[in-house]
Amino acid sequence: MSVGNPTALISTLIDKQDNFEIIRDKIADILKTETASQQALASAAGKTDPDLWKLRVFLERSNAWEQWITIADDTDLSPLVTVEFDSTRTDERSSNTTKSQVKEGVYNLDCFAVGISENDAASGHTPGDREATLNAHRALRLVRNIIMADIHTYLKLRPMVGKRMEQSSMAFRPEFNNEAVQHIVGARLTLMVRFIEETNAQSYDILEIVNITTKRAETGEVLFISEFDYS
Amino acid sequence: MSLREEMEALLSETLEDPELFGWPITVTDPGGESAQMYGQSTDISLLIDPSTKEAVSGRTASVVLRMSSLVAAGFTSLPKGISDMTLKPWRMDFQDILLNDHTFKVKESNPDRTLGILVCIVEVYRP
Repeated sequence: MSVGNPTALISTLIDKQDNFEIIRDKIADILKTETASQQALASAAGKTDPDLWKLRVFLERSNAWEQWITIADDTDLSPLVTVEFDSTRTDERSSNTTKSQVKEGVYNLDCFAVGISENDAASGHTPGDREATLNAHRALRLVRNIIMADIHTYLKLRPMVGKRMEQSSMAFRPEFNNEAVQHIVGARLTLMVRFIEETNAQSYDILEIVNITTKRAETGEVLFISEFDYS
Repeated sequence: MSLREEMEALLSETLEDPELFGWPITVTDPGGESAQMYGQSTDISLLIDPSTKEAVSGRTASVVLRMSSLVAAGFTSLPKGISDMTLKPWRMDFQDILLNDHTFKVKESNPDRTLGILVCIVEVYRP
């Protein structure tokens, strides 16, 4: 059976970000802005090392820690976080089929930190694996406190975002068989965001205008008075 | 001399001969005693993900030494990983093919007591 030549019915160009992308970018923006502020606060508070509040923020990077494979004197060893979109699930009971859907999106905020074994100038040494782990936990602490702060409840995207909640946190190591020359440890915070995703609404021509006025007669009967043009 | 002892003796050529594959490596024990030795070293940036068997970026380095030469150099024990933070680690210093200096600490050691070869997996160390 021939189905004929298909005809495109969407007449408007799809050139704007979906809300799941906007949320992803906003999470990265919040982390970037707040960590910079934290470093300034640490300096103002007289902390000896404000860089402990430094966090480099990346977006959708699968291997942002590759810079640590060969460490030079000028390599930035600050922990980093990469914001990654994972998935969405549609809440069909709260959605409609034509205009907008209510979704629960999952975003992975992956923190990575490096640790290098070092002579401690005394009789021992500082182990790189422990340093990497503690640095990763510190990065996770920063990320969680920023994203779960009450002021960021709606990620500055209300009314698009209705809720955000930490689902889980876990630590992991992106090394292989423990053979890497440097210790890199990861820590993931999984963030759930409930938001509205709107569909591409078409504009339609108005075919008919019908005016209806409802009145109640003295008898209590409801009357309709309608006016419309027809041809 | 047994064949096994002959194989161990051949290590002076196959492993340590600087005219062949031998590479200078400075070994330093936790007590600070060091010796210049010859062995083999690797420092490559390609790993195989054991789960996917795909090549992935990463860096691994290792050192291979003759166990009898370590004894002859005066070391009272074989290099191994030191997890105790109050001690210094076993340290390996060697150059890469471009003659850049690199300092590593022994992360784990795998002695082959059959043929007398010690393989050390090393990690970056700041002296």
